[in-house]
Amino acid sequence: MAVSSTSSVTLSANDRLVAGVFALLIGAFLVFGAGLANSAVLHDTAHDTRHSYGFPCH
Amino acid sequence: MIVRYLLAALVAGLFSGVLMTAAQEARVVPLILHAEEFEGGGETAPATEGTTPSTDGATQTQTQTQEHSSLGAVLLDVASSFSPISVAYAHEGEEHEEGGIMFGMSRFSGTLLANLVTGSGFALLLAGFSLVSGHSITVANGALWGAAGWLAVHMLPAIGLPPELPGFPAADLGDRQVWWVATIVLSAAGLYLLFLKDGIVAKIAGIVLIAAPQVYGAPQPGDISSNVPAVLGAEFAVAALATTLFFWIVLGLSLGFANEKIAKAA
Repeated sequence: MAVSSTSSVTLSANDRLVAGVFALLIGAFLVFGAGLANSAVLHDTAHDTRHSYGFPCH
Repeated sequence: MIVRYLLAALVAGLFSGVLMTAAQEARVVPLILHAEEFEGGGETAPATEGTTPSTDGATQTQTQTQEHSSLGAVLLDVASSFSPISVAYAHEGEEHEEGGIMFGMSRFSGTLLANLVTGSGFALLLAGFSLVSGHSITVANGALWGAAGWLAVHMLPAIGLPPELPGFPAADLGDRQVWWVATIVLSAAGLYLLFLKDGIVAKIAGIVLIAAPQVYGAPQPGDISSNVPAVLGAEFAVAALATTLFFWIVLGLSLGFANEKIAKAA
């Protein structure tokens, strides 16, 4: 496996970017669902978590 | 190989989510429950308490000791925290569609589940940021990554929008969410320029990016009166920021550890 010379991450630059963008997208989706989504069921389930993290959800 | 990096982030996120749940239950949830007693509070009329003459001190302390010593109330509190039915979620003055906790879980399980999802989400965001920027997260630098994540996601947005208790006044939801997301993105970009880029231009640009949303200003409510006592709000803001700092440092460290054990073990 090629190691990118500018980075200490042991992935090729292309794989690194794919993994990174993929992680950012899934991560944003999960945080949105738990923290911001405007659904009453999601809100009630995550209520204390949303307050604790300071999400602006209501 | 890509999957291993995502797996490492998930493991770190789930682990941090469990520890965060414990920290929340200890420091934050009691304050939320306390604030909910005042939320909308017509009957208990806590607002009149301040206007009570000081000669009423004796009766006030009496009600306080009652509040603290009543074993029955404590048992009820404990029972209600395990019960799937909770009236506390119904926020005053909101048109609620049919709510309730998913799968009929208890309030605690709902919080745990939400923390697991949130923990995994933030872990993936942190790992993604590290992968895209090309700076790896290790055990040695994990705590610093975590602290930077806390600054970008909690501390800097809290300057404009401090963590709110139930029953606090707030500006329009959409405006706040836009400001909040924009502040996190700008702060993260600013911190990247400040810490990971060389050169005086990058440092100055970083500071400008971090300052920009604060100078612009967060949407504020027109009327800041609330039934919830201010002291409770102050305690809550500090508790929320302290527990999230704990969460992010655990997350950074465990992500560094998981990167070294899982991602590089191939």
